[in-house]
Amino acid sequence: MRNKLVLALGAASLLIAAAPVWAHHAFAAEFDAQKPVKLKGTVVKVEFINPHSWIHMDVKDADGKVTRWMVEGGSPNALFRRGVNKDALPQGTEISVDGYQAKDGSNRANGRDITFADGKKLFVGGSNPDEQPNAK
Amino acid sequence: MSAKAVALAIVILAGSLAAQSKSSQGKYVPPRTPDGQPDLEGVWTNVTITPLERPANLAGKEFFTPAEARQYEKDTVERNNADRRDGGAQADLSRAYNDAWYDRGTKVVETLRTSLVIDPPDGKIPRKGDRRAGPPPGFGRPPEGPEDRSLPERCILWPTAGPPMMPSFYNNNYQIVQGPGYVVILVEMIHDARVIPIDTQNAPRPHVDSKIREWLGDSRGHWEGNTLVVETTNFNDKTRFQSGGPNMRLVERFTRTAPETITYEFTVDDPSAFSRPWTAQIPMKRTEGPIIEYACNEGNYAMEGMLAGARADEKKAAGR
Repeated sequence: MRNKLVLALGAASLLIAAAPVWAHHAFAAEFDAQKPVKLKGTVVKVEFINPHSWIHMDVKDADGKVTRWMVEGGSPNALFRRGVNKDALPQGTEISVDGYQAKDGSNRANGRDITFADGKKLFVGGSNPDEQPNAK
Repeated sequence: MSAKAVALAIVILAGSLAAQSKSSQGKYVPPRTPDGQPDLEGVWTNVTITPLERPANLAGKEFFTPAEARQYEKDTVERNNADRRDGGAQADLSRAYNDAWYDRGTKVVETLRTSLVIDPPDGKIPRKGDRRAGPPPGFGRPPEGPEDRSLPERCILWPTAGPPMMPSFYNNNYQIVQGPGYVVILVEMIHDARVIPIDTQNAPRPHVDSKIREWLGDSRGHWEGNTLVVETTNFNDKTRFQSGGPNMRLVERFTRTAPETITYEFTVDDPSAFSRPWTAQIPMKRTEGPIIEYACNEGNYAMEGMLAGARADEKKAAGR
């Protein structure tokens, strides 16, 4: 019992140590690190919603069978401030997604990297120490 | 230069910076609203990468030198960068999505303090019995329903959205609106509107009965010179700011110290959790509006995903 408690506390402190990389929720609770996926397909629709955005896409396999996937992104608010809106990802756009599949095996994944057909990354980040886009 | 001389130079520099920040607070006279209140209105951001508590490797160092600050910013931005794909699958998954979705900031605070906590001077929250911030409710057992997941995941409360208000990894934006008898703070994260009644000599507005407990507590404000002072009590037993209890007394101070800056300070007093009151200082800088709505429950597909994940884990453990 005591060991279990120590284990639980240890796990909790790990979670807290990892806090700066948390999204709105723990992605490890929803997706499976053992199930990396690479999806290639076309955008069906994008939901820029809080707390997290979702990109719906059709993925065609080698036999031509089409499967609908949902890919989870982040809060759209920061993107809007960077000037990105729904026009950034119109229906029919070809994209590739690197991510991890949902634990329950459903066709959902997180979007670790989203890449256009020409190899450009979508939503590449604003981590430039010389600018703080949000502060005036 | 000897180590002693370096230490002395740091102390002198720290002292002069502290004095500077105090005197700048004293000198600036903020504009007034049409009805004569010091004007705090507008949209503000408290984004910064200065940590709440002083990291162990900066113990004894209250201020960065400018060069150290730039290095700290560079290192922190690199560490935070969610576009990294190193560290294995678990680390990769915990970074969730590309860096563009985040808005953690890239700068330390202008005072070059090494922690947001300014009192005690060691920059550490004086937790009783070295108590760390506890795990969110529900962690440590598989969630059976939404109530077993944490408050932010349930879209109820964000631990930094306030009160008191602290920077987080995105949505660090606040709009302050002043009307007769009230100040309203619209918080982008979780989308709370704090409606703060203002006490005046002629119209005292005491706190609600101690039996009434609220997620955001019961806030009452008054003016001390150019500073808006807001006292909040009557928290419920689930808010637990930094592992504090429902009897936490919070005092926030908003002072416009420059045209584009509100110096925001808060003091937390809760003898059940802390050995003494402690204070943090965070600059709020004017930023572009508007506040964007954070309609969290409506889009929280992830709750279903996390509960489905827990059921999948159970099946796997049972060998089915």
